[in-house]
Amino acid sequence: MIRLENITKYYPSKLGKQYIFKDLSFDIPSGHNIGILGSNGAGKSTLFRLLAGSEYPNKGHIISNLSLSWPVALTTGIHPQMTGRENTRFIGRVNGIANIEEYERRVIKFAELGEKFDLPVKSYSSGMRPRLAFACSIAIDFDVYLIDEVTSVGDAKFRKKAKEALLERSEKASVIMVSHEMDEIRHFCDSAIVLHNGELTFYNDLEQGIAQYQAL
Amino acid sequence: MTTVLKRNKWEIWRDVVFALFAREIRTGFNDKLGLGWAVINPILFIFVLSYLRSKLAGAETHTLPTFTFMAIGILFIQSFLRALGSSARAIGKNKALFAFRQVQPLSAVFAGALFEILVKIFVIISIVILMYFMGMELQISNPLLFLACFFLLWIFAVALGLLFGIAEMFVKEVAKVRELLTRPMFFISGTFFSLQDIPREYWHFLDWNPVLHAIELTRYSVHSSYGNEGVSLSYLCGAVLVFSFLSLSIYHISWKQAISR
Repeated sequence: MIRLENITKYYPSKLGKQYIFKDLSFDIPSGHNIGILGSNGAGKSTLFRLLAGSEYPNKGHIISNLSLSWPVALTTGIHPQMTGRENTRFIGRVNGIANIEEYERRVIKFAELGEKFDLPVKSYSSGMRPRLAFACSIAIDFDVYLIDEVTSVGDAKFRKKAKEALLERSEKASVIMVSHEMDEIRHFCDSAIVLHNGELTFYNDLEQGIAQYQAL
Repeated sequence: MTTVLKRNKWEIWRDVVFALFAREIRTGFNDKLGLGWAVINPILFIFVLSYLRSKLAGAETHTLPTFTFMAIGILFIQSFLRALGSSARAIGKNKALFAFRQVQPLSAVFAGALFEILVKIFVIISIVILMYFMGMELQISNPLLFLACFFLLWIFAVALGLLFGIAEMFVKEVAKVRELLTRPMFFISGTFFSLQDIPREYWHFLDWNPVLHAIELTRYSVHSSYGNEGVSLSYLCGAVLVFSFLSLSIYHISWKQAISR
């Protein structure tokens, strides 16, 4: 379970503080693959970054005993001038992987970049970068993977593979994802959180959540 | 299965600094000259300037060989400015990496500063070797004072850089102010002159500056006959202590908000 306690989060702007959440308390249940639904600017990515510890709320705490991944977006932590291998090693070191070589092999196997793995990431096609980013995260055993629109850019084969990899781990791990494509959400998730006006609502049944979201 | 190590705070910090350091080296020098340029560039600059000055101004400046006098001045002001700039820029530059909760701004600042000081150590070694082969006088009367000044100045620059770096995350115009403020440092820190060249009644315009103290003390450490009038090691230490404490305190209370904007 991930517990949000009295979270207040705003961004300063020319028009004063833009509140995303005001005094929000919420428990995100574990054991579900959750899709986060909300319109543009509702704060999906902010919620994500708060959960991952990439950003901190202005007030309140996030408490969890689970190991969460970083928010895996298209290019998080990937430097375009470094090769795929160097990026992988960087991410491995930062996350404290015991055996970097083994981790590298897992990423190579999953990302299927061939010899491009040893070329700078800037030479990759737009479908290959997210493959690397996703592989780097799935190759580490987290309890919860936070995935931000990464799987939607890959081809059918990559999506199938991503799904299988997540299913394989689904007994121990779950996924929280953000996507605007309902097919994508249906593909990976079984329940939903709808984010509207700074309030979160959990729906155990995904279809119910999607219906609610589309009615907004 | 990949095992994730259970690390304590210090081990995480060490791993992250190492990873950032490797990244810095890898991404900062992507052309054919590579890492070598980071060392060769300051050597050429210091060498040419010091050599010209020693040809123009005579062999000795206040009993110190003019070459040594100039080399110390330029080397120290450069190491101050570079460490300050790199520490101040490190937070903004690595912002994307704070997505990994293990990576904290202080690690990025420290990795950048570590790189700068290693480069400067290589520069010092190379210049000493060059001086040896050119048959210049190589002796030092107080090596400990030399090292103390070198490292104190570095800590001072990093503390100041951290302060600016944090402020720049809140108000990005501070970066412009920093550039404006550091520009005259080259001229008021005794790089080209000694405090002894200035009439005593004007010293108070210059001797508030810890960098001037560091440079003059270093020259004194090489030749004790150079004299250390008007500068003091305890003033330098005091400035370093005050600024380190100040910037670490401000960092401690504000880093979470600084990267959450």
